[in-house]
Amino acid sequence: MKRIIVILTASLTGLTILAGYFFQTQLANLTGLLIEWGILLVGLAGVIGVGYLFKMHLVRVAHWQKGSLLSLIVLVAFLVTVGIGFFLPPDSAFFRNWVLNIQIPVETSLLAILAVTMLFASLRIIRTRGWTLMSVSFLISALISLILNLHYLNPAIGTAGAEWLEFVRRLPLAGLRGILIGIALGGLIVGLRVLLGMDRPYEDES
Amino acid sequence: MTWTEIGWVIIGLAVVLLLFFNLLFTRRDWYPVRVNPAVNAFVKQRVRALEGGKQSQVVLGNRFWSRAYPALGLHALSVSASLVKADPGAQETQVFAAGTGELSLFARQILCGTYQDGYSSALNLILTGPTPHAFMAGFLAEMGLHSPGSVGLFGHYGPMEALILEAAQMKGGHSFAAAGSISAQAALFLTTRDLLIGEEIFLLPGLMDRSPSLQAAWISEDILRVLMIALLVIAAGLTLAGVL
Repeated sequence: MKRIIVILTASLTGLTILAGYFFQTQLANLTGLLIEWGILLVGLAGVIGVGYLFKMHLVRVAHWQKGSLLSLIVLVAFLVTVGIGFFLPPDSAFFRNWVLNIQIPVETSLLAILAVTMLFASLRIIRTRGWTLMSVSFLISALISLILNLHYLNPAIGTAGAEWLEFVRRLPLAGLRGILIGIALGGLIVGLRVLLGMDRPYEDES
Repeated sequence: MTWTEIGWVIIGLAVVLLLFFNLLFTRRDWYPVRVNPAVNAFVKQRVRALEGGKQSQVVLGNRFWSRAYPALGLHALSVSASLVKADPGAQETQVFAAGTGELSLFARQILCGTYQDGYSSALNLILTGPTPHAFMAGFLAEMGLHSPGSVGLFGHYGPMEALILEAAQMKGGHSFAAAGSISAQAALFLTTRDLLIGEEIFLLPGLMDRSPSLQAAWISEDILRVLMIALLVIAAGLTLAGVL
């Protein structure tokens, strides 16, 4: 019985939201309400998630396990930020500057590491993926794309050369659309399987 | 016919195909599963990691939902259910990591449902950070503490998560990715050999758990893909001929 109620609730909620796109005027109030409930639940799940995070680090520090020093830093930073956040309003210039002056340099340094990693990864792509048609085409197309985007080749507008260049520049866009269509189709099937009750990850095994 | 109506036709067709094949496959032979070397390598390396006492880390993404890729979070949860079912005895060495509260909550529900009374949340589910950057930094720190035997990325990511796979390989672990978005796939293409791209991502659960509903999803997706290709070719031809 419990199983049927769960499946029915999940399916009916999903199908109502889906129908809301088709019958926008008739179902606007109901879908609005359901979406608000959904946002509220997701927000609550986020808070519970932060609770897990806090508990995990607290347990690690309490038992002085491997990595407890890092956990201690996380806990102190978390408590200080939450503490100050309770006393100062979110638009406080001091609070915003204080958080952003830590967050932005850390995130920027991660991006810098990523840039270097990507550079080395692209240089050793043949070692990673071998001499395959895919890896060789990737290298050649990346090289052509780089050269074209340097704008050294500038044929006169309206000539065959300009049209050819435009065609080559638009090729990655075609590939991108192909991948996006594939992802959309896959996403559609995954969503429908949950809506139709064929996939029930929320359900107990018993 | 408007684009919205075309969309509804595709959705309707997908529903009909799913229901029809699900019914058909519960009674008759299943749809043959295509071999995917990347998935085979991932499954083998996971077993090797579990047998060697190393961790098999499954990362479920840094977002549950996004407007551009709405189903990636659901897909990650679906994969995690298949992975747990595939190795139910590997509770201690199979670690699931999530980057948002809701993903970790849903993943916990799946793990609790599978392990029942034997489940301990301290063992195998971690939320390393509530925002994408915090998640990544936290996960890299976790990798420093426990060398992984294999790392699998599923769900929604940005290009930054290529660092996770790079770190896994540096520590001698096997890396596998079946993850979006487009920018993430481009970055992951450079860092791992075993990568699923585009619609291949969503075929993954069917390779691990050959239930009728997953086989029905496979054949429905295949039919829709062929139909879409045919429609695009016809539309391109008609545009060239000046009809459209």
